[in-house]
Amino acid sequence: MDEFNDNEIGKLLRLKRYEQPPPGYFENFLHEFHRRQRDELLREPLWRILLERTQGFIFRLDVRSLTSYPAAIAAVLVCAAVISLKIYQEPGAANVVALQSGPALSTAVNAEGEWTLASPAATRIFRAQPLRSLNESANTHRAAIPPRYVLDSVPVSYESTFRF
Amino acid sequence: MEQPKTDEDQQLVARTQSGDAAAFDQLVIKYTPRLYGLVYNMTSNHEDTNDLLQDIFSKAYKAIRGFRGKSSFYTWIHSIAVNMTLNFLKKRGRRFHLSLDDVDTSIQNDKEFLELTATSSPVREADLSELQRRLNEAMMKLSDEHRAVVTMFHIQGMPHSEISKILRVSEGTVRSRLFYANRQLQNYLDEFRKNPVG
Repeated sequence: MDEFNDNEIGKLLRLKRYEQPPPGYFENFLHEFHRRQRDELLREPLWRILLERTQGFIFRLDVRSLTSYPAAIAAVLVCAAVISLKIYQEPGAANVVALQSGPALSTAVNAEGEWTLASPAATRIFRAQPLRSLNESANTHRAAIPPRYVLDSVPVSYESTFRF
Repeated sequence: MEQPKTDEDQQLVARTQSGDAAAFDQLVIKYTPRLYGLVYNMTSNHEDTNDLLQDIFSKAYKAIRGFRGKSSFYTWIHSIAVNMTLNFLKKRGRRFHLSLDDVDTSIQNDKEFLELTATSSPVREADLSELQRRLNEAMMKLSDEHRAVVTMFHIQGMPHSEISKILRVSEGTVRSRLFYANRQLQNYLDEFRKNPVG
């Protein structure tokens, strides 16, 4: 025989299957794998762990199945109901506020007269005390008497140009 | 070598994807011996093989959520293993030393080994460790891509079609790489044939 043929090369190489790691290697491999994973996890920043957990949670939820047509229609209907409820509730409340504290809307400040981030501005406006009550305003604007307009000062053009 | 049942793998993959880490442990146990053989015969170094194998399973665990089952898990995990090993070999370059595993004594009962020792004088005359050294040296003289094909075809017993899927090349490319690698191995082992005791 002059040289190894393809068949013999194949047979020779197949003998390499008998090269095996030390005894117990495969049994311990999984423990080593777990240990390395724990070490890796400890080295990872918290935000990345949270991101991975969130991704896993979303994946388990299977968002694609939630986006089926009936589910999508139901979601739209619920959103529409919530929005319409808000719309029908708000104008009434707004009118009352407008009647009770029309001028006060422009003074949306707290008792100390300072702006804070403690509560939304709108809430404070609605809760603010009106500057004048309806009764008070009724005294100043009587329906029977037409409004009078009084000029506090003489217009500049009416003043005499020269004084001696 | 027989390919593991894919439906069993699919179930384990699905369980892993739904958060069952124990299912992935079963996949690790199942594929460690096969992938060890693949990586070890590409690197000829036990320590490198161990580190690579840990990295391969770690990467697979992180990526398994994105596994959509277009290929079998078998093909997928082998692709990861081959690609990571080829990348490692490129970085390692020529600076390496052989760290060979012991040859299992059951080789003495292997039918093919008995045939070789009966018909081939070099194999008969060389002792086992010498034969192992010569084979590994010949393998390491091949390029990384050729060694990968030789390992999968001759040592792991994979068909051409499976190798082509793992490497994402055509079957023709696999056959041509195999042909070229066999010619090279013939040349390298010719020295062994002429001088079996080194």
